[in-house]
Amino acid sequence: MKMQGKVLNEEELLRIHKDSIRILEEVGVKFPSREALSLLEGRGAKVDWDRQVAYIPEVLVKAALQTAPKEFVMGARNPEMDLALPSGWSVYNMDGCGVNTLDFSTGERRSAVLQDVADSARVFEEIGLCNVYWPPVSPSDVQNESGGVVRTGISYINTSKHVMDEVKKKEEVPYLIEMCKAMAGGLEEAKERKLYSVTYCTVAPLCHDEAMLEATMELSGFMAPILVYPMPACGTTGPASLYSNIALANAEALSSIVIFQLASPGVPILYGSALGVVNLRSGMFLEGAVETGLQMTATSDLGKYYKLPTMNAGCLTDAKEPGMQAVLEKVLTTLPLVLVDTDVIQGIGLIESSMTLSLEQMIIDGEIANLCKRIKDGVKVSDELDFYEDIKAVGQGGHFLKQKNTRAAFRTDEFYQAALCDRNSYDSWIDLGKPEMFGLAHKKVQEILEGEMKNPMPEQTEKQIREIMDEADRKLNEKL
Amino acid sequence: MEAELFEAMRNSILDGDEELAAELAESVLAENLDLNEAMNEGFLKGIREAGDLYQAGEYFLPELVCAADAIKAALEILTPALKKSSGGAGISKGRVVIATVEGDVHDIGKKIVAAMLTAAGYDVYDMGVDVPADRILQAVSERKPDVLGLSALLTTTMQEQKNVISLLEKEELRDQVKVIVGGAPVSSRWAELIHADGYSDNAADAVKLVARLLG
Repeated sequence: MKMQGKVLNEEELLRIHKDSIRILEEVGVKFPSREALSLLEGRGAKVDWDRQVAYIPEVLVKAALQTAPKEFVMGARNPEMDLALPSGWSVYNMDGCGVNTLDFSTGERRSAVLQDVADSARVFEEIGLCNVYWPPVSPSDVQNESGGVVRTGISYINTSKHVMDEVKKKEEVPYLIEMCKAMAGGLEEAKERKLYSVTYCTVAPLCHDEAMLEATMELSGFMAPILVYPMPACGTTGPASLYSNIALANAEALSSIVIFQLASPGVPILYGSALGVVNLRSGMFLEGAVETGLQMTATSDLGKYYKLPTMNAGCLTDAKEPGMQAVLEKVLTTLPLVLVDTDVIQGIGLIESSMTLSLEQMIIDGEIANLCKRIKDGVKVSDELDFYEDIKAVGQGGHFLKQKNTRAAFRTDEFYQAALCDRNSYDSWIDLGKPEMFGLAHKKVQEILEGEMKNPMPEQTEKQIREIMDEADRKLNEKL
Repeated sequence: MEAELFEAMRNSILDGDEELAAELAESVLAENLDLNEAMNEGFLKGIREAGDLYQAGEYFLPELVCAADAIKAALEILTPALKKSSGGAGISKGRVVIATVEGDVHDIGKKIVAAMLTAAGYDVYDMGVDVPADRILQAVSERKPDVLGLSALLTTTMQEQKNVISLLEKEELRDQVKVIVGGAPVSSRWAELIHADGYSDNAADAVKLVARLLG
C-alpha cells in the first residue's frame, strides 16, 4: 500500500468543525464590504453593519460546501500539463509574494525584479511534479498598480503550466480575463479551461480585506478556482494552541467559501492553509517550524473531510540561505503533507520564510519532492513484484545481478535515482571535484536558462499578452 | 509601607497586570505619594526590568506586551499630575507616533515595536492600523513627536510609506520629525530610497535606532 498519514481522527475533525461553526455563529467575521455583507444578510446571516461583522449560520456553510465542486481541472496553456483535482498524488507550486532574490550570478541577496519571474517560470517548467506556478516574487521594477497583471503575463509567457496569483483590486480582473481569452480562444473556452486561479488570503483573526475580497468576488464570476488561504499564527494573530488555531483558520476558510459560493455558486475552491507559529521573542512568523508543518497537515485532513481539493503551504524554511537548515525544515514540512495526500504543496524555491527566491533551491526542492514521493509510494506488494522465482533460482549464496527481473527493475521507479545526492565512493567524490547539492543545482539551472525554452508560447499569443500588459501599465497607473 | 507599595507597582508591571497597575496609580494620587519616587522606584523600575528580562531571553513576547500595556494604564492616570509636578518632566526619553499605513491592517509588528519603545522609556502613541496619510500628518503637527514609525507588511502598501514621507515634505513637516520604517518586505535600501531616516528588521534594533536618531 501507499504510506498513509493522518493527524486528526474523525472525532477530532468533527469537533474542530463544530468549533469553527461556533466561531462563525457567535463571534462572527468582519467583511469590510457592503456588497459582501448584503449578500450574506440576504441569505440569512445576521449582520452588524456598524462593525461590518456577519454571523454566519451553519446552514450557509453546508450550502456552500454543497455547491463547491469536489473535482475540477486547473487548465494549463499546454494541455499536457493540466492538473485534475483531486490529483491522487502530491504536486507542487510556488508560493507568491517574496521580495528578494538570491542573484544567480553573484549569489547576493537583492531586490527581486521582473526577470526573476521569467527565469523562475522557465526553471519551473522543467521540474517534474510541479504543476501550478504562482510568481514567487513581487518585482520591484514594475509599476505598483499594474504589477500584478504584468507579472502574471510574464509567467504565462515563460511557463506552459497553470498560473495562479493574487488579485489586489477589482480593476485588475478584466486584464486577467483578457489574457485567458487570448490563450484559450474565447470567453467561454477560457472559463472552461481555467488557466488562471487565484489565492485569497483572509486577515487573521477573522477579517477579510476589502479590496482583495471585492476583486476576488468579481473574479469568481469567471469561475477561476479560488485558493482560500488563512494564515493565523499561534499566540499573535491566532490562539496559542495548534488545535484552536486550526479551528480559527478553518472558520476563516469556511467564511471565504461561503462568500464566494454566494457570489458565484459552483466556483471551484481549493481548501488551503498557511498557518504558523511565531518566534516567541520577536513575534516573527515561522514557516519552517515543525508545529507550522503539523498545522498544515491537520488542515489538509480538514480539507479532505470537506471533500475539497487541498493546497497547503509546505516545503518551507526560515533559513536565510540554501543549506542544512533549509533542507532539514523543508523535508519536515513536506513529507507529512505528502503522507496525508495533500493535492498541491505550496511551494518550492523559496527561503527566508518565503521572502527570498533561489533558483537553485527550486531544483533542490524538486528533488525533495521526488524523494518524498518515493516514500509515499511505499512498498508495493503485488504479483508483478513477487520475485520468489529469483530467490529460488539463486538459492544460497550467489547474487541477483543476472536475474532478468533485476535488470528490468533497476530501470523502474522501484528505485529512485537521486540526482542531487552524492552516492559515489569517497575517492570518486574527490576525483569529481567534491560535487555538492547546491553546485549541482546551480549547474542544472544554468542548463535550463541557457537552453531553448520548452513549450514556448505561440508568437501571436505572446504579442496579445504583451499588449494586455502594456494596456494595464497605461490604464491602471493613470491615477498616480 | 511606601516601599511595599512601590514594590507592588514594580510587580504589577512585571506581571503585566493592567488593572492592578491602574489601581496602584490611583492610590498614588489618593494618598498623595511622591510622584517621582512612585515612578522611579515603582512603575519605571518594573518596565525597565521587563525590558531587561526580554533582552536576556527570560521574557517572551506576550510578557513584554502586557508589561507595556500595564505601564500605559498607570501613565494614563498619572500623566496629568506628572505634567504639573516639577520633577516629572523628564519621564519620557522622547515622543514616538507609530502607525500601520493605509490599506494595511497588520498590527503585530508595530505593536511589538511600540511595546519595546514603551519599555525603553519612550512616550508612544500608537495610531493603530490602516491609518490614512492625512491623519498621520495631523498627528505629527499636533503631537510634535520626535520620531514617526511607519509599518507596512505588504509589497503594495509599502508605497504608502513613501507617500506619507512625500506629504510630510510637501507640508513642510519633514524636518521636525525623524521617520523610521519597518515591515516584512521593507529593507534599508527601501528606507534610503524613500528618504526615511532609518530602518530596522526587528524590534530590539528599532529601539537602538530611535536612541541613535535622538542621541
